[in-house]
Amino acid sequence: MIFRIFLLLVISATIQVDARPVSYPGGWTFSTFNDGDRYSVFTHYSPTAFYSIGYHAEYWRAQDYQIHAFHVNNLIKRWNAEASQGNFYVKSGVGFVYSDEGDFDNRTELAVYTGIAADWETRKVFVAYENRITDAGNIADNFRQKVKFGFAPYVAEYGNWHTWLMMEIMHAPESDDKLVATPLVRLFKGANLYEAGISDQGDALINFVHRF
Amino acid sequence: MKKLIFILLIMFVTSFDVMAGDMPEVKVGEVDPNGEVVTVKAFGLVCDFCANAIEKVFMRKDEVSGIDVSLDKHQILIALKEGQQLDDTEITELVTDSGYNVKEIIRSSSGVGE
Repeated sequence: MIFRIFLLLVISATIQVDARPVSYPGGWTFSTFNDGDRYSVFTHYSPTAFYSIGYHAEYWRAQDYQIHAFHVNNLIKRWNAEASQGNFYVKSGVGFVYSDEGDFDNRTELAVYTGIAADWETRKVFVAYENRITDAGNIADNFRQKVKFGFAPYVAEYGNWHTWLMMEIMHAPESDDKLVATPLVRLFKGANLYEAGISDQGDALINFVHRF
Repeated sequence: MKKLIFILLIMFVTSFDVMAGDMPEVKVGEVDPNGEVVTVKAFGLVCDFCANAIEKVFMRKDEVSGIDVSLDKHQILIALKEGQQLDDTEITELVTDSGYNVKEIIRSSSGVGE
């Protein structure tokens, strides 16, 4: 219970993201993510620019369970052009799920998840797709996918504030709200990225990524 | 005579400005006035994380005194310390290992102290 409270405090205090899941060789990334379904925090290290390993924790509010996982992101392919970049990733994790909700009295089970992610961006346009299938025993078993797209109303040089106006559409077949749309604003400067939005269900989305 | 002094003064100030203008500027570190400056035109530099990654990777090298990444120009400006060298193969390797690609490498001295 103490661990759970500690985890929630940490997560709530820093609220998260999921952009560029692999950093430069030797680089660390800290990210937090909060949407209508879950809080999560993810810290990873990139031995090379083509994969990262880290710790991923998430707490699903409505179902009241938490997943803690050793997480690996693999950059399978990158397409670099003079004014654009495209990426294809595989993201996977293995760990445990814990719940004391209802019948799950202090139950812990094995949790695995995997998914793909692809994005393409210029300095003015951004498009991304991502999915994930999770199998966490009897406690959690779901599939989610989302698309995210947006544009930059102005183009700024490195080190200045970049602003993006975006839309994220989440599809969760098992949820009551199968489709959730979230308009959001992304602010980006140097090693920090921030996102904030409100979904059509009235839920806040707050994301943060820091590279170091 | 006053006119001549005025003209000489203008010439002096102008020449000083030209010299200063030749000195490249870098966002991180500094330009060694006696070092070489390498300009790398690159593919895939589209966001601040990209630029930040290039900065971090190159600034770890002992040979590098400063670096400037421009998303507008798709270029990396690498200032080397006096007497230090980074050959094209090594620069290409560093850029590629960072996740980007080299289009062209252009070499020149910093233009200062010569």
